[in-house]
Amino acid sequence: MTKRNPISVPEGYFQSLEQRLQQIPVQAAAPRSKVHRFTPYLAYAASLLLLLAVGNFVLRKTAVQEDNGWDYVSYLALSLDPDGLVELKETEELTDEDIRSYLLASNISVEQLTMLSDEEAY
Amino acid sequence: MENPEQVFNIIVKTYSERLYWHVRRMVGSHEDADDLLQDIFLKIWTALPTFRGEAQLYTWVWRIATNETLNFLRKEKVRAMLRFSSADDLTVQKVQADPYFNGTAAEREMAKAIARLPEKQRQVFIMRWWDELSYEEIAAITGTSVGALKASYHIAQEKIKLNLSATEVSK
Repeated sequence: MTKRNPISVPEGYFQSLEQRLQQIPVQAAAPRSKVHRFTPYLAYAASLLLLLAVGNFVLRKTAVQEDNGWDYVSYLALSLDPDGLVELKETEELTDEDIRSYLLASNISVEQLTMLSDEEAY
Repeated sequence: MENPEQVFNIIVKTYSERLYWHVRRMVGSHEDADDLLQDIFLKIWTALPTFRGEAQLYTWVWRIATNETLNFLRKEKVRAMLRFSSADDLTVQKVQADPYFNGTAAEREMAKAIARLPEKQRQVFIMRWWDELSYEEIAAITGTSVGALKASYHIAQEKIKLNLSATEVSK
């Protein structure tokens, strides 16, 4: 194997390289801008938000959707619509006990439950 | 210790050109070598306060340069994998497309054969063949035994010869 350097560099390259490299301590000593200083923290925050968004999306997509008609009862109860509840009771042949036990097991607040009872809709 | 800036400037003056040629042969292109050299010297400047003088300055500087170069090539490999192409081919392509290559066709084939070597073997070969470092110096830089380096260099030489003869046959 013979040895001769077959590669070259642009003219005056090593002189400019030396000058650029000697600027490193000067550039390193220059104060960093606020944006520059906070960039790693912003990157962490953005990553966390992205992770939460992806997690939320995946959970929503994989969650079992429950649609058994009782959601409509919750809607009527939460919107404090006694007439709607009465109508529902008649058409679906539900007892007061059915609705009461459902609402107790749901996330409806005690105040709202009391208000519904006061209305004596059922 | 003298003023760190003065020490750094001495390092730049003493090693920049030599390290450039090493890095250039490792990565295969002028642009990559130029970028990488900036990173290497930034690292040298950052690490300079931690230099205790236990190793020779020469060995310390070369160690930073060779480690940074291997890191660069590893990152290139990952990037190439993400693009579903081979990083080894990438270095060969860079040698092939190098606008500052003014050697003969045989010299280009030799450069390509060197670029096909695995990174560490390529590093040992370039340090011994092109940079003309002794095995003892390479051992101090890479932390590998002289015997292992000799074996690595021998295997690299054989691979290059094989590669060149395969190219001859295919012509």
